[in-house]
Amino acid sequence: MSVSAGNPSLARVVSRFAAALLALGAFAAHAQQPAKPAAAPTPPPSWQQGRSAEQEKSTLHPFAIHVTGKPAKELPVDKLRVPAGFKVEVWVDGVPAARSMALGDKGTVFVGNRQANNVYAIVDRGGKREVKTLLKGLDTPNGVAFRKGTLYVAERHRITRYDGIEDRLDNPPEGKVVIDNLDPSKAPGHFWKFLAMGPDGKLYFNIGAPGNIVMPNYMQASISRVDPKSGTLENVAMGVRNSVGFDWHPRTKQLWFTEHGRDWLGDNSPSDELNVVTRKGQHFGYPYCHQGDTLDPEFGKNRSCSEFTPPALKLGAHVAPIGMRFYAGKMFPAEYSNNIFIARRGSWNRAIKQGYDVYRVTLSEEGKVLKGEPFLTGFLTDEKADPPMWGRPADVMVMRDGSLLVSDDHNGIIYRVSYGKK
Amino acid sequence: MSVSPGDGGGAAIIAAALSFFIACAALAAEPVPRKAEACTVCHGPGGNSTNPILPSLAGQPAQFISLQLFLFREGNRKDPQMSLPASSLSNAEMNELAAYFSRQIPAAPSHKTAPENVSAGRRLAEQFHCVQCHGPALLGLQHIPRLAGQQFAYLKTQLRGFKSGTRADMDGNMTSAAQSLSDNDIEVLADYLSGLSGR
Repeated sequence: MSVSAGNPSLARVVSRFAAALLALGAFAAHAQQPAKPAAAPTPPPSWQQGRSAEQEKSTLHPFAIHVTGKPAKELPVDKLRVPAGFKVEVWVDGVPAARSMALGDKGTVFVGNRQANNVYAIVDRGGKREVKTLLKGLDTPNGVAFRKGTLYVAERHRITRYDGIEDRLDNPPEGKVVIDNLDPSKAPGHFWKFLAMGPDGKLYFNIGAPGNIVMPNYMQASISRVDPKSGTLENVAMGVRNSVGFDWHPRTKQLWFTEHGRDWLGDNSPSDELNVVTRKGQHFGYPYCHQGDTLDPEFGKNRSCSEFTPPALKLGAHVAPIGMRFYAGKMFPAEYSNNIFIARRGSWNRAIKQGYDVYRVTLSEEGKVLKGEPFLTGFLTDEKADPPMWGRPADVMVMRDGSLLVSDDHNGIIYRVSYGKK
Repeated sequence: MSVSPGDGGGAAIIAAALSFFIACAALAAEPVPRKAEACTVCHGPGGNSTNPILPSLAGQPAQFISLQLFLFREGNRKDPQMSLPASSLSNAEMNELAAYFSRQIPAAPSHKTAPENVSAGRRLAEQFHCVQCHGPALLGLQHIPRLAGQQFAYLKTQLRGFKSGTRADMDGNMTSAAQSLSDNDIEVLADYLSGLSGR
């Protein structure tokens, strides 16, 4: 590491030593006054909002990622497990905070994140993968989507487009704004956005609730869509606390999405959800009703769960389902066709941790949920430890060869699950 | 380069001066990696700062150190002394530096808390929820820094920066927590925290 140009030479250091000692004396002579109570009470940290009085001594807390990442060789990747016949391997490491993934026409994998300010592009040249820092200086660029040569990026406050991006990976164009002012309050809460292009050519994204359990305004706790041609904005689903993963059923074309339930209602309540939108503008319950059948102790007092659309499947309490995709590839066995893979990135808000896997949901021909079960496991190594896991699946994406990529933002790694000899 | 009032450091020359003389006399507990040598010029031998305006790194959680280096490199956090050295660090180098400094033993605090601030400071640390994330003994955890025994003036500068919105914040919680702190609260909290044992 080079020493900062601002650091003084040795001669200057010595000449100013006396001044430094004087300055130190001044610091030590600080005056003190008795503390006064603050005028307004400070709110607890946002992740504690909604705790009951009995939970005040709880030691549960969220886990932060290693934003600088970890090399795969330092991690117990040999602990990962997939069903017989499948294989899991590290596809690439060194992708900081890797979360949402999108696939370009020419095979580029675009990766967004919550913490790294940048969008990364991974180029596969005959099995040797290069990670490029594609776009820099963005604000929470979690959402990435690709359609017909254009990369779309959802930041905290706006969606931008980058046309012809795969021909300009080393010299990307300036982003053109599709829609702006999506975060006027700039408040803490669920401000990162997932982005996907629907079969209707519109861009779908979430605006999360501005806290754990709070009353959202008219545009929060929603999934919305914008037509990139006209800029027209519409609500698609309401009462969605936070959804950072959705996809369309390959046959029914209905929108399915994962949703994080509220915290601090106990180890086993409420369940996170897998939902399906059957009618535009449906309300999925937040903040009044959770998991389709549990009224919120505060906001649900004068409501009924029958007012709201229940989930298609309960995914488990606090498991934090993030990315989800339908499997329409050809590599996996036929019974996997039109299944849903879901990255479960939690849990933290329960004493005995669960989740930290890729979950498989099987549907009937008509698109009804039959069952759910873990598919890729091994990240969770000690359900009572702090932290209990060494990696966290954040998104899944089906590649053109039918293999499944799984991003892990905790370590900045993308894994590949394949079947058979491929 | 824009200078963030939140991070201070304009007078870091003092740090370099003091650290240099102390470094000459100190015995390192383990061989100092070459990359970490430059850090110890200002942050002190083994990352135990002797300058009130510069933070101690010794015994800080590794995940906290690497996150801060990352924020400096990416420009979220700006500082006239830190932005440049961080700009050339790879993620792997950040992890290496973080691992080294997290293994060092924090020195006993040189700061003496004013007697009346021992209980007043504790009250504020609970009232403003510091202990909720930084832990009951303010020792930090994972990506959350140790405050106990941290340098006095540095703590004040960070709190003022969070309050004014100029200090980068991973998730908004520190900015939010600092909003209702008065100048006197900051003085008392920093005085209390700086005198606590960091071990």
